[in-house]
Amino acid sequence: MYFLTALACTAIFVLLWQVVKTEKPYHFEYGALIFGAATAMWLIDCIASAVEGEGFLSFEMPTDYLIAIWTVVGGFVFYAAVVWIKYFVDKKKAK
Amino acid sequence: MACFTVTTVAAIGVGIARHVVKHNENKKDPTKVDPIKLDTAPVSKKLGVLELALWGGSFILAGEHLIHGEVSFKFPWLTAVSEGPEAVSEMLTEMGTVGVGMLGIIVGAWAIGLLVRRFLLKRKAKQLVKE
Repeated sequence: MYFLTALACTAIFVLLWQVVKTEKPYHFEYGALIFGAATAMWLIDCIASAVEGEGFLSFEMPTDYLIAIWTVVGGFVFYAAVVWIKYFVDKKKAK
Repeated sequence: MACFTVTTVAAIGVGIARHVVKHNENKKDPTKVDPIKLDTAPVSKKLGVLELALWGGSFILAGEHLIHGEVSFKFPWLTAVSEGPEAVSEMLTEMGTVGVGMLGIIVGAWAIGLLVRRFLLKRKAKQLVKE
C-alpha cells in the first residue's frame, strides 16, 4: 500500500519537475529524489516479503493506511525542510 | 526490523565524505579548469544528490518502522534489542539482506544516473563538434 503511495508521489514530483517551469526555487527534483528513494527501498522490502511468502503488497487495516498517510505527510515535510534550508543557504551565499 | 539504519549510517558516511571533498574542492584554484572535461559539476554536488536520497528514504522508512512498533523513542530504541538474542539475530540478518539491498538499489540508481548524464553530455558535445 505505502509502496504504491510513494510511487504515486514520485510520479507527481517527476511530472511537476518536468512540466512546471517556474522561476521560484521549488526544487521539485528534490521531492522526486526523496520519494523515489523511499519507493526503491520499499521495492526491496516488497521483494523480500514476496520471497518469504507474505505477498508482494500488503493492505492491512489500519497500519498500512497510517503508513501511507505518513509517507505523504512525512515525505512532504522533509522535502519542504530541505527546500527551505537550500533557500536560506543560497540567500546567505548571495550576500 | 531495522533495515533503514543501514541507509542512515550510509547517509552519515556520504555526508562526511561530501564535506571532505567540498573542503578539497575549495582549496583548488578556480581558474584551473580542464577544457576537455565535459562534466563540470563538482563531485561534492553529485555526492549531495546521493546523500539527499539516502536521508529522504531513511526518514520515510523510519516513520514506517515507528508505526510498526519496530522502533521506539525509549532506549534501546530498537524493539528487537529488548526482545532478546533471537530477535537481535533476526534483526541483524534483515539488516544484512534487506538493508544492504536497499543501500545497493539507491547507490546503483545514483551511479546509473551519473552514467546517463555523462552519456548525454558526450552526445551533446559530439553534436556541437559536428555543427
